[in-house]
Amino acid sequence: MTLAINPIEVASFGISAGAVFGLLALGLVLIYRTTGVMNFGHWAIGLVAVVSYAWLTGEGMLPQAALPICLLLAMGAGVAAYRLVFKRIARSNQIIVILVAVGIAQFYSSLAALVLGFRPFTRLPPWLPMATLEVAGMRLRMSDVYTIGVGLAIAVGFFFWFRVSRSGQALRAVAQNREAAVLAGIDDVRYSSLAWAIGSGLAALALLIIMPHSAGQQGGLITTFDLTPLGTLLIPAFGAALVGGLVNLPMALVGGVFFGLTREFLVLAPAPWSELRTSVAAILIVVLLLLRTERFFATRQELEALEA
Amino acid sequence: MSTAVETPEVPEQVIEAPSTVATKKNRRNQIIALGALAALGAVPIPFGDYGFFIGQYAAVYAMLGLSVTIVTGYAGLISLMPYTFAGLGAVMTGLIMTGWGWPFWLAAPMAALATLPVSLVVGMASVRLKTLYLAIATLTFSTALGETFFRWDLVTGGRIGWTVASPQLGPIDFGTDLNFYLLCLLVVLGLVWMTEGLRTSRLGRAMLAVRDNELEAQALGINVYKTKLAAFVLSGMMAGFGGAFLAVLLGNVSPGGYQSPVAEVTSILLVSLVVIGGIDRAWGAFFGAISLVVQSQVFQGARFFFPFFGMYSAFFLILFLLFRPGGLVQVSKITTELVKRRPVFGLAVVLVTVALNLGIAYIFIRAS
Repeated sequence: MTLAINPIEVASFGISAGAVFGLLALGLVLIYRTTGVMNFGHWAIGLVAVVSYAWLTGEGMLPQAALPICLLLAMGAGVAAYRLVFKRIARSNQIIVILVAVGIAQFYSSLAALVLGFRPFTRLPPWLPMATLEVAGMRLRMSDVYTIGVGLAIAVGFFFWFRVSRSGQALRAVAQNREAAVLAGIDDVRYSSLAWAIGSGLAALALLIIMPHSAGQQGGLITTFDLTPLGTLLIPAFGAALVGGLVNLPMALVGGVFFGLTREFLVLAPAPWSELRTSVAAILIVVLLLLRTERFFATRQELEALEA
Repeated sequence: MSTAVETPEVPEQVIEAPSTVATKKNRRNQIIALGALAALGAVPIPFGDYGFFIGQYAAVYAMLGLSVTIVTGYAGLISLMPYTFAGLGAVMTGLIMTGWGWPFWLAAPMAALATLPVSLVVGMASVRLKTLYLAIATLTFSTALGETFFRWDLVTGGRIGWTVASPQLGPIDFGTDLNFYLLCLLVVLGLVWMTEGLRTSRLGRAMLAVRDNELEAQALGINVYKTKLAAFVLSGMMAGFGGAFLAVLLGNVSPGGYQSPVAEVTSILLVSLVVIGGIDRAWGAFFGAISLVVQSQVFQGARFFFPFFGMYSAFFLILFLLFRPGGLVQVSKITTELVKRRPVFGLAVVLVTVALNLGIAYIFIRAS
């Protein structure tokens, strides 16, 4: 970790990390709103994409060409989880839903470990340009600039898709009031599957932005024996989702940026605090939980519908 | 309550009061159950030290599983922390035994007590939350502990961790596999007995009432918050106590393995074994642990299949949650009913199932 003193450089790290957290949170919120499942296996579904990326590029495929295939695979994994499992559980029984999500995490992560094989490390080549940009004396990483761009593009794309397109409106209808949507002739299973596909794709994209670009020019490394860093990524993602009360999509992105900036600006904090990134995120999450943020973004009726 | 009013019919099952009358049938059943347990405990004997080692594993996992039983099965709170508490207990055991040189018999209860401050703070902050938010909160807290407590070199013994010696009691050395197996077996049976007892105690019945309907429980005069907090704290102590045995079993405690409850394989395995065994009965954790640990050994025996064990156990976790949420306890009840109703057919089903299981295990090990 290079110690960047310039606040704008730190901010660029923070916003790009935040864009990634925002993407993860966006997927979580989208899935939760449409199907009432808080996906504790989100990271494992993204891991499916990371592992297939490692495998495809290891076979000599161009990283940029492997990327869309991997995203599709993760989407397939997510839709399979919904169609085969989550569709069959009453969402009123949240305990079972959460336990099943933990099971899904275990299933996909051991599948991924199986594909990775028991090698100490697998290398992930970068797919974003790794150059550094010099602007007015500041050094910005190109990958950060692209990450922020991707985040913005997805946010804008979502905005228009939800407002304008028919499928986007149908998805919103299912999220807002499932029964009314079904009565209006919307196939809720189809649109829930769509939500799972998009959410899983976003998880995959987020992990594929982080993992291959974590170690500079060499790309990134992943090891079968320790997948916990991926599991801990869920903490800022949950925090970001909580900023929007787990139901609001734009606020989830904002929350992502908030958590990203907090995390990176901790580097400037005095000694014990700069190491405690997850703990600071945990404190923020507890505050958000106590604020009960969901009441700002959804009516009581909508919240009840989420778990009925 | 006046006796003149007709007492409403008590709904079947769920919360049975402890039967104080030891009827003849009851006593006979108890003797049969004890005999069956003794037979089960003797199963590892023909396999020698290896068998005892597996037995130790199953017993320790069952102890840790009981903490999930109390918090999730009894009180209906979803907590992702049990394995973190186990890690806390294990690390404390290492510190007390190796760092301070105290005997295991003091370290184990102290490991249980060491979870108390953490579980109290976390519990007070979060047990009021709704299911989903509680899950997020416990996940967050245990990840934060992974970054703070489990990196506290003074307590965790740094990167190398602690080497934990086996306990001694006078002339008896629990370093041998047989002795430690017997110790673990005795302790886990005691804990199962206690947890079953908790279920029928006043506190336990309050927990079940809170789980089934919070509002009704409150109307009955149960302090919902205190009951939940008690379940959370008890579960933490149970996991910490089990963690002490885990430390001895592993022989070495390194703090690296307790970072994220949703990514840590053993943490998920705990959930799996409790669900597969039966989440709301103490015996569920016991039989679930035996079943999963034995199966993992069968997979290990068949080297080719071993990497599939994670997917296999996850598959069964999901399958049980979908179709038999009561776990093996529920399955055995259904089977007993079937045997009672149609003895020939029922016994045939049981025999075929057992034969199939043993046969597949045999093929698995032979094939490699």
